[in-house]
Amino acid sequence: MPFPFLPRSVFLSTKDPMSDREKVKALIKEAEIYRKQGLVKQARDKYADLLRFVEENEHLSGDQKFMEALRNKIDRVEKDLEEIEAAPDIKEVSGEVQELITRLFTFSQNKDAAAVEAAVALAKFGQYDRAVAEFQRLIMQGILPRAAATNLLSCHLTLGTPEAAVSQFEQWVSVKAISRPDLEYLRGYLLGALQKKGLHIELSALPPETPSEKAEEEVKEEDIIEISSVCVTVPAGPRKGKVVELDVTFQSGNAVSIIIPASEREMADGFKAGVQLPDLQCYSVMGVFNGTGTVKGKSVISSGPKRGDFTLDIVIDSA
Amino acid sequence: MAVFNAKDRVIECKIVYYGPGRCGKTTNLEFIHKAGKKYTTGEMVSIDTKGDRTLFFDFLPIGLGKIKGCEVKVQLYTVPGQAKYSSTRKLVLKNVDAVVFVADSLEVRRKANFLSLKDLQQNLAEQNMNIFKIPLVLQYNKRDLAEQGLPIMPVALMEKDLNSKLKAPFFEASAVKGAGVGETLKRTLVLTLNHLQKELKWTE
Repeated sequence: MPFPFLPRSVFLSTKDPMSDREKVKALIKEAEIYRKQGLVKQARDKYADLLRFVEENEHLSGDQKFMEALRNKIDRVEKDLEEIEAAPDIKEVSGEVQELITRLFTFSQNKDAAAVEAAVALAKFGQYDRAVAEFQRLIMQGILPRAAATNLLSCHLTLGTPEAAVSQFEQWVSVKAISRPDLEYLRGYLLGALQKKGLHIELSALPPETPSEKAEEEVKEEDIIEISSVCVTVPAGPRKGKVVELDVTFQSGNAVSIIIPASEREMADGFKAGVQLPDLQCYSVMGVFNGTGTVKGKSVISSGPKRGDFTLDIVIDSA
Repeated sequence: MAVFNAKDRVIECKIVYYGPGRCGKTTNLEFIHKAGKKYTTGEMVSIDTKGDRTLFFDFLPIGLGKIKGCEVKVQLYTVPGQAKYSSTRKLVLKNVDAVVFVADSLEVRRKANFLSLKDLQQNLAEQNMNIFKIPLVLQYNKRDLAEQGLPIMPVALMEKDLNSKLKAPFFEASAVKGAGVGETLKRTLVLTLNHLQKELKWTE
């Protein structure tokens, strides 16, 4: 018999045994194929249908051995389902695969931003140990320390170890590993993140500013946050009011350049030099900042692979 | 978005296989890896769970040789299909150039197909991409299960559910047997290269 646990009563029934047998066989076959396909919920549902069918037919449900076999099948499928649901959402992968992740999910052309982006990619794929090590290295090397430190704290918070985040911050304060403006930023970030989690943890106040620290507070090139894209409401034209996200192709200080494809002429027409952009969202590896900006200029690219596309220059006034 | 290295004349583009859980995305890549050895430029990488469900992504690099004077390299990815891995799907979809949407022909997966397509549309929109404008091919997989007496949806119904507005090219397939896999990929590559030619103003 192809299905060893088919009840004998199926063959002895005074009802049409053929149709009952065929139905039972068909349901078992369907359930098994679903289970082999990995469609465990569907397999469970089919077995449940079978159980209901059998229970409604006395000539079938009387066979205790068959009923027990059927219930065992359902239990096994339920167990499979529980295992799938309980499977961890992250998994530590090999160093090779981690390298692949950093290579495949880094898009920035800027070397420093790419280094932070690579570490962020590791964190997003749950490779927290490696991500934390990378962020530590970037901080030590002075590569976008604010972005690296923010993401490092975020790793600890995501892992559910806020005390590690606090301890890390306190260590940065004590060894002055990070500049004062960055420490002030990180303190605010960490307090906010802890409050969101309902944790009221006191963080050490920063020691009083020394005269040399005051002098170093001028904005350095590396303190400028690299913006990868901006989200802006089209101010005029056929697409007025539409919110669009545009990738930044070039940045100098607080001025960013964006390319709008020629095919999106209607959108480009909405931007003219001098137009204010009151509702700007700037995306960077550190996070999203709200701000305002002004369109500095717009031009058409006259040569090269992007010929015909529009370049839009925006000065970010405040963020 | 395709990476164009003008100096070395290399174009690298990204194709993502999308679809509900257990629809056959990984099986597609496994078949391409096995049958298309002369085109693959590296090993297939799969990051999956103990039960062979994709956890993060599958990755397979292929090379098409020189086209219009440019070396064309293609990266094939799959996403995890289970509903709970939404944030991973967003990550993998970043900067995509083309999508193969693999739909499961089993009747019991009708709703899952629809929800997954909607998920794709939303994730593309978050990247300011339009599902109606991106190169897209639909694959109706597991057609072979009809031979085993399982209830599968007619293609006309799947077209009505998933493709009545998109009007994307579609292929029937049985990825586990390899049927339709090559045709799906070939059409996707043609659409992708045509699209890139316009985007990059790419000429010899």
